Amino acid sequence: MAELNVLGFHAGSSVLHQLDVRFKLMFLVVISLSSLKAFVPSLSLLTLVLMVALIHAGLPLKMALKDLRYVFLLLLFMFIARSLSVPGSSVVEFKTVSVTREGLYEGAIVCWRLVIVIMTGLSFVLTTRSSEIKAAVEWMLKPFPSIPAKRIATMMSLIVRFIPIIFEQAKKTGDAQRARGVENRKNPVYRLKMFSIPLIRRIFERADKLVLAMEARCYSENRTDSLLSSGVRDWIALVGVVCLCLIIIL
Amino acid sequence: MNEKGLSNIGSSTSLRMTVYASLMAALTAAGAYLAIPIGPVPIVLQNLFIFLSGLLLGSGWGTASVGVYLLAGFLGLPVFAGGVGGIGRFAGPTGGYLLGFLPAVCVIGFISNVSKTNVVRDLLAMVCGSLIIYACGLSWLKILTGMTLGKTLAVGMYPFLPGDALKMAAAVPIAKALRPVINRE
Amino acid sequence: MNIIEINNLSHRFADGTVGLENINLCISEGAFVVIAGPNGSGKTTLLKHLNGLLLPTKGVVRLSGVSVAKNLAWSRQMVGMVFQDADSQIVGETVSDDVAFGPENLCLDRDDVKRRVARALETVGLHHYKDQKPHLLSGGEKRRLAIAGILAMEPKVLVFDEPFSSLDYPGVKQILAQMISLHQAGHTILVAAHDLEKLIAHTDRLIIMQDGGIVRDGLPSQLLWELEAFGIREPCASRLGMKVHSWLN
Repeated sequence: MAELNVLGFHAGSSVLHQLDVRFKLMFLVVISLSSLKAFVPSLSLLTLVLMVALIHAGLPLKMALKDLRYVFLLLLFMFIARSLSVPGSSVVEFKTVSVTREGLYEGAIVCWRLVIVIMTGLSFVLTTRSSEIKAAVEWMLKPFPSIPAKRIATMMSLIVRFIPIIFEQAKKTGDAQRARGVENRKNPVYRLKMFSIPLIRRIFERADKLVLAMEARCYSENRTDSLLSSGVRDWIALVGVVCLCLIIIL
Repeated sequence: MNEKGLSNIGSSTSLRMTVYASLMAALTAAGAYLAIPIGPVPIVLQNLFIFLSGLLLGSGWGTASVGVYLLAGFLGLPVFAGGVGGIGRFAGPTGGYLLGFLPAVCVIGFISNVSKTNVVRDLLAMVCGSLIIYACGLSWLKILTGMTLGKTLAVGMYPFLPGDALKMAAAVPIAKALRPVINRE
Repeated sequence: MNIIEINNLSHRFADGTVGLENINLCISEGAFVVIAGPNGSGKTTLLKHLNGLLLPTKGVVRLSGVSVAKNLAWSRQMVGMVFQDADSQIVGETVSDDVAFGPENLCLDRDDVKRRVARALETVGLHHYKDQKPHLLSGGEKRRLAIAGILAMEPKVLVFDEPFSSLDYPGVKQILAQMISLHQAGHTILVAAHDLEKLIAHTDRLIIMQDGGIVRDGLPSQLLWELEAFGIREPCASRLGMKVHSWLN
């Protein structure tokens, strides 16, 4: 395994791909928040809109379902917990537990809202390059004088860049230790210690090399600004999203 | 050539800590998938790395590390495990724990001493940090599922306590071994 | 004209060990120099003085007559350095992001950055991979990416530290060909290596280091028979009394 999410950016030319990242972030927050006020009719509407958006953006459906299976498990757990814990007229009774009608309804609504939030997030992630996301971070943090926006953007790049390297290193460390029979040691504290110390030490050694390489390439926090541009299209989309949210809330 | 660009070279120590904080955040991100298979349930390393962020980097850089990690995840960069990146992760049942990492690291770094290992202080720091993580995680879980407090604890905390104890026990010697690597000079 | 001038350079590390001892060296523009020596002889330490990653304890290093210590940023842009471990030199999430890192540090405007990235990737032949994630590249490609990252800063001098370490045969040939064509394009090239086999046929000057000092400096063909005395293996063909041929044929 080299990467955390299979569902990353997918190149494409849909409307969502072309929108300005700052607008998309705003839509993301607004739609997620308004979904908290939504019930069956407006949830259906939102689901429909998002479905269309996702398919238009070219969502790889099979891959998405496979990647989201743990999420479905968590949703199922939430649904069950809700349906058992909300008082009301019971549908099924078993000893001390009872599934209530109100519980089923509430559970379904909460899960559905979460699905909306997840779908919104997905349509953002699918259509936005990480360089755009970093540009948006720089733009958002710029008004705050004490926050080093460029440094934060650089840190984000480094995090994403180093995750696969850490998996690689972890595998090497694990293999080397298994080759020397570490599995015979049952003491978990010993195992945690013996795995983590060399792993982190190796990663920090890399950090030292990286610092040198960055200095050799004139690292500076006073760097070229990222490019962001918005147009008429974004404002039209904004009007659309605001209307959608008003329909949901009212 | 722009003159400003040439005169401004970041000080080396601050660059080094920036890189360490980023790599610690990358370890935290990867930690959700790294596990040591012992017994029936594998021990997942993510919160061990959260403890270590506080113990090794201290309050300021530790908070920066976790903060940037969470911000990156919130904005949809691929740093969260389990398929869903972005805002959906915070809204999901485990979102509270994730958010709890931030104050937890701050407190762990504050209580422990970055430059010297003191077992009692380190353990106290991690216990407080864990309490903060659970306080955030459990309240959000309870709101979402509508379970009683007892049930929420039974689902969202008790099963993880033995693992947490092991990780705390391991974190002390790990921090002791690695502190000299970070605090050179 | 000498592009690099080093006078009485000594370097002592913080723990007191001697890194370099009284180095005097001039390198003319457009030269292709190989610095040989066993591990720990001071090759990397010397190279790190060229762009101010290390500063002299004594003595002075000048680039085109200008002191490195007084113009750090400028000298880092003049001297591009490709490290031994190319993998940990890469900063960006994608190939083109990584190449852009250097020019962005120089505060060039966005169009200029784009132009330089495109040209650098073209030079090393990675333009088809510009949106690829770096960890998916092969060893030779990673090193070429590191070279592109340096070229985008438009340096005069290119410094390679053990450029062939852990590369397979095709990887070695790629990097060697790259170095030769960069030399032909007018760059001054310095290479640190403990194994001369792959390189020696193309260089015009050989410097041998031992214990932090320069012990031999001259034409490669005249120094070959002395190599083994300094802990460097003599190229195979030379041992057999033949002329050393290029690895590219």
